[in-house]
Amino acid sequence: MKNIVNHPPREDRPNIWRSLRELENDPEFAKHLESEFPRGADTYEASGLSKRDFLKLMGASIALAGMTGCRRPEAHLVPFTKGVEWTVPGKFLYYATAMPTRTGALPLIASTSDGRPTKLEGNPLHPFSNGGTDAFAQAAILDLYDPHRSRTITDSGRATDAAAFDAFLASVAQGGGKGVAFLAEKKSSPTRERLRGLLEENFPGMIWAEYEPLGDGEAAAAAAAAFGPGVRLLPKFERADIVVALDSDFLNPAESGVGFAAGFSARRNPDQLAAPMNRLYAVENHYTLTGGMADHRLRCKVADIGSFARRLGAVIAAKLNDGDLAATVGAYPDSGADLDAAWIAACADDLLAIPGRSLVLTGPQTPAQVQIIALAINKALGNLGATLVGVTDDAPPAATISDLAMAIAAGAVKTLFILGGNPAYNAPANLDFSSLLAKVPDVVRLGLFEDETSKLARWHVPAAHFLEFWGDARATDGTLTAIQPMILPLWGGLSELDILSKLLGGGSVDGPALVRETFAKLAPAAIVADAGGIDLVWNTFLRIGFLPGSAFPPAALDFARGAAAQLANSRPAAAKDALELVFLQSSSVDDGRYANNSWLLETPDFVTKVTWDNAVLVSPATAKALGIKANNFGKFEEIAEKLGNEIDYDLVADIVEISDGKSTIEAAAIVAPGHADNSLSLALGYGRKAVSALMDNVGFDAYPLRSSESPRFTSGVTLKVTGRDYPLAQTQEHRSMEGRDLVREGTVDRYHENPAFAQTMGMDSHIPPNISLFTHPPFTSKEQWGMTVDLNTCTGCNACVVACQAENNVPVVGKEQVRKNRDMAWIRIDRYFAGEADDPEMLAQTIMCQHCENAPCETVCPVNATVHSEDGLNLMAYNRCIGTRYCANNCPWKVRRFNYFDYNQRPLDELYWGPLAKKGMADSLKMAKNPNVTVRMRGVMEKCTFCIQRIEEAKIGRLVSAGPTPASETPVNVFKVACQQACPNDSLVFGDIADPESRVARLRQSERGYTMFKYVNASPRVTYLARIKNPNPKMPGADKVGMANGAPHGAHGASHESHSSPNSHGTATAAPTSPEAHEH
Amino acid sequence: MANFFPKWTNWIPLKLVIIVGVLGAAVSGGVWYYFTPKFTRVGYMPTQPVPFSHTIHVEQLGMDCRYCHSFVEVASHSNVPSTQTCMACHTQISATSPKLETVRESWKTGRPVNWVRIDKLPDYSYFNHAVHVNRGVSCYSCHDEINAMTAVWQDQPQSMSWCLDCHRAPENFLRPPAEIFNMNWVPAAGENQRDIGMKFKDAWEVNPPVTCGGCHR
Repeated sequence: MKNIVNHPPREDRPNIWRSLRELENDPEFAKHLESEFPRGADTYEASGLSKRDFLKLMGASIALAGMTGCRRPEAHLVPFTKGVEWTVPGKFLYYATAMPTRTGALPLIASTSDGRPTKLEGNPLHPFSNGGTDAFAQAAILDLYDPHRSRTITDSGRATDAAAFDAFLASVAQGGGKGVAFLAEKKSSPTRERLRGLLEENFPGMIWAEYEPLGDGEAAAAAAAAFGPGVRLLPKFERADIVVALDSDFLNPAESGVGFAAGFSARRNPDQLAAPMNRLYAVENHYTLTGGMADHRLRCKVADIGSFARRLGAVIAAKLNDGDLAATVGAYPDSGADLDAAWIAACADDLLAIPGRSLVLTGPQTPAQVQIIALAINKALGNLGATLVGVTDDAPPAATISDLAMAIAAGAVKTLFILGGNPAYNAPANLDFSSLLAKVPDVVRLGLFEDETSKLARWHVPAAHFLEFWGDARATDGTLTAIQPMILPLWGGLSELDILSKLLGGGSVDGPALVRETFAKLAPAAIVADAGGIDLVWNTFLRIGFLPGSAFPPAALDFARGAAAQLANSRPAAAKDALELVFLQSSSVDDGRYANNSWLLETPDFVTKVTWDNAVLVSPATAKALGIKANNFGKFEEIAEKLGNEIDYDLVADIVEISDGKSTIEAAAIVAPGHADNSLSLALGYGRKAVSALMDNVGFDAYPLRSSESPRFTSGVTLKVTGRDYPLAQTQEHRSMEGRDLVREGTVDRYHENPAFAQTMGMDSHIPPNISLFTHPPFTSKEQWGMTVDLNTCTGCNACVVACQAENNVPVVGKEQVRKNRDMAWIRIDRYFAGEADDPEMLAQTIMCQHCENAPCETVCPVNATVHSEDGLNLMAYNRCIGTRYCANNCPWKVRRFNYFDYNQRPLDELYWGPLAKKGMADSLKMAKNPNVTVRMRGVMEKCTFCIQRIEEAKIGRLVSAGPTPASETPVNVFKVACQQACPNDSLVFGDIADPESRVARLRQSERGYTMFKYVNASPRVTYLARIKNPNPKMPGADKVGMANGAPHGAHGASHESHSSPNSHGTATAAPTSPEAHEH
Repeated sequence: MANFFPKWTNWIPLKLVIIVGVLGAAVSGGVWYYFTPKFTRVGYMPTQPVPFSHTIHVEQLGMDCRYCHSFVEVASHSNVPSTQTCMACHTQISATSPKLETVRESWKTGRPVNWVRIDKLPDYSYFNHAVHVNRGVSCYSCHDEINAMTAVWQDQPQSMSWCLDCHRAPENFLRPPAEIFNMNWVPAAGENQRDIGMKFKDAWEVNPPVTCGGCHR
């Protein structure tokens, strides 16, 4: 009997979906899915040439071009004139450094190749790091080499030189500092603080202000009110059984720092022996990474989060008779919002059951009057000192940007130094900072780019990137961390320390002298004596990147009831039904500082999967009420007509106007499943104008509606639909894989009942035993490479995506190409929603080449360009590839990427110009490339290689150390692949599956493990570990948690109950139950 | 009607087809055979900025390869010596030779000497010197008698098939570890390369990669 395995039929209303169109089962969407590379696969669009014409033309030009190829171009070998210490040409050198962030520092290990930093990894030795990084740190390399960085000092718009600027600084220094003010970014650099202190002695009355658009001023204000000034709170997730996140995205490393939530994923393992798996409650207005990981999630307007906290606190205060909490919640003005009382009661009961083992967290910009309630709840639950510890931050206080604005308005500022930041663009709108800058005679701007602020300043001074200067920083926990330069300033940039030192009359700073001086003051005498001298301590500091034992001292946490109640009552409640606009940190451009970083711009947003733009997020119900075109619902013909008869399958969104009465902004709006009603969210940092070509027409600026009083949200905005459309480039519908139980989850109870539940979900419970008709080469290598992805700890934070881009020279293709599904990312994060559109669950799944043992791509390649290796890798020989794209068509995972253009060599806006386009990339960008990975060109298929360059380096290392002895006796050096190394949650594990002792081999044996498309018998080398949720059974809606694949029902999920007989996708003898089954 | 064309013209089309076919085959065959690295690259001997002679340094002075190519045993690249390495001797020896003007100039100004590259693999191929010289492959196998070259030329085609000749049968090239940098080594009387190579191949478990991923990343 012939075995025919039919794909499962598409469901009428799928339970797991990636876009609203898929949920609605739009027929056009189905059509769209059927083509691998949707539009323009057979026409050469812009020129109107058909493929046939194109081949004719190309044939002729190749014949001519061939004649020029006979001569060999002369290449040169250029050695150093003097050997450089430690440098071996072609070998990486590793240095410990750190990326300064607003929360402290992200400890890093930089790889440099022949003096060029090419890759950054986390520093696993550092106490406030687990060796992971975030997407921003991974993209910092591109920032360093960005050819758009400013290169010249300008005075009133005219280029000048360093000597003129030095003379200006000297005149300021001699002036005694009258009317001198500084506006700096928030950093915790002890050297900067030391120089600032010295400068304050020289310049009495000098103003030192700090501003961060996404700073934690509100959190600091709440902590100061409750526990006194200078107290910083550090959560200990490893001790918390229950975490309640109120408007907090603590699992997003870009918000909180990589080391912050390190303990969370360790407690997320359902198999841990000592302690129960933790439980996460999230209360938020839009879907965040934290909300996606939550066991229970409550949609709630940001304006109502305080009311939620108040009511939660009230229940707890009543049960515990806690006076502090009662006083604090009593003082908070409730907005009267409609919140689910049963939800709050169940959450409170859960917290009360385990005193001292829970955590209630708020976000950094959540209003202080809400944060104080969370602190009071933690206090009442006994979490202070247990799961939430306090440390004393010794940084001197700084003025705020509002203080500075007042001083400028009063005419007290004559010379203003703006060190980093971009206040002309991102200062609170109510300060009207741009006009204030005009009142200051001498504004000195130190910045990486000649941006909005530089245009309003007299002096613009190019800043050095953090990989170009000596510095230091305290990590969030206070650990003193070294910032070492990896390269001399490429374009003569100065650091802020240089400017401060010059103002102190110190002249130009060479090397680490300033930092070392601070270090000598800070290094504890005991450690110096122990090590035998400051030199040795300093050397260790630089080698490991931090000073052990230098964390902030612990602080006593005595809750101040009066101050807390006062803060809780500091502002009236927002109107109950008012429409609010919430300002988000962008996952791509942060607060706007990475607006010129194309790696980040092209990385899809965590949740919306929109690239190159931001958009207003609005819930399905509110979209309907406000008349926002449900951008995805069956309007294709209309849209197609508008766009000139060409069906553009990608997203076209309504442009809306949002106004707070004073200012109005325009932005595209998209319907966001799981968003709170009556609430709008918009990421900051986009819509920058006239800075660089790359920033033009990228997103919408939300700053004009943001005030200094309420940095998190603006209540009472109005929204008007304009009737104009805006094209968005969204990757979520690319390469969809519907109805096949690709992402799997269950609850902890279900897991303990049947640990192997994930292996028998969907079709996997009733597929016949499979045999392969074709063979792969025998796996004769000692090592067999494989990977596991733990869906239980993967949040979808994009760190791996950008890490892969940096490691593997993955090109950027631009918005128009992304809209044509031509994005090149080798690793992507698929985001699924499960359930109804209002309030679904969210699941993230990291997908890269699965290195199938029976790889479907290999059998269809006509030229053997993709073949298998003895160690189980699916290889791609670029120089053999002729670009038929058959392999991509045949790949069930859709992980293969085709170079439609020479993206590395051609400007993105000239892709269609053919030979007329400029060729070549900026010299500085060449320096950013990984020298061990081929830079692919047009017409070549590419995909994840499991970082074969790292595998080969490790194997070569083994052979080199084996020398003339048996090779098998030397183990392969321990190494990590790029995505694994970047992962802040240790979700990706790569290694040798043939070694039963290896971590990856053990994880592959986990009963949670499953492979996708098992019935295809591709036998992938990537195993997924199903997500396990830990719902509170008493919570309303608990029965729906962890049920994305349907409730446990015999051997297979309820979502497949419609298949009357297991044979329906088993054998050809039974007729398929659904006519659609034929189509797949 | 009279015959305008003589009878032999009937054969013209066939003859044309044959001639074109033969010509075409000759051209393709010619390109196929002669446009390979064996003919386009072997013998490439550009003029170097400094008339450096391996004969003098290696043959006459007996210097080891690794004095100048110092990282060949640890790195993928076999480095060209820095100016400093040259000047270590040439501040004393031939300190005023006009041939060394470029080197002295480089030492004075700090600008490097631009040696013209001779052996160059395509960008998509990754060759590693360290693993070859540590596992019994001599410089000689790829660079031939470079010790005796007054000016260096490319001696081997360094094409993919040439690489694979050795990767498939390394026993034809493996040497005793002590003789890697000895260009003049030949198997002792009574021994032959194949037997020596087979011995080492088995003892050291030499198993060079022949999959694409060995060289192409």
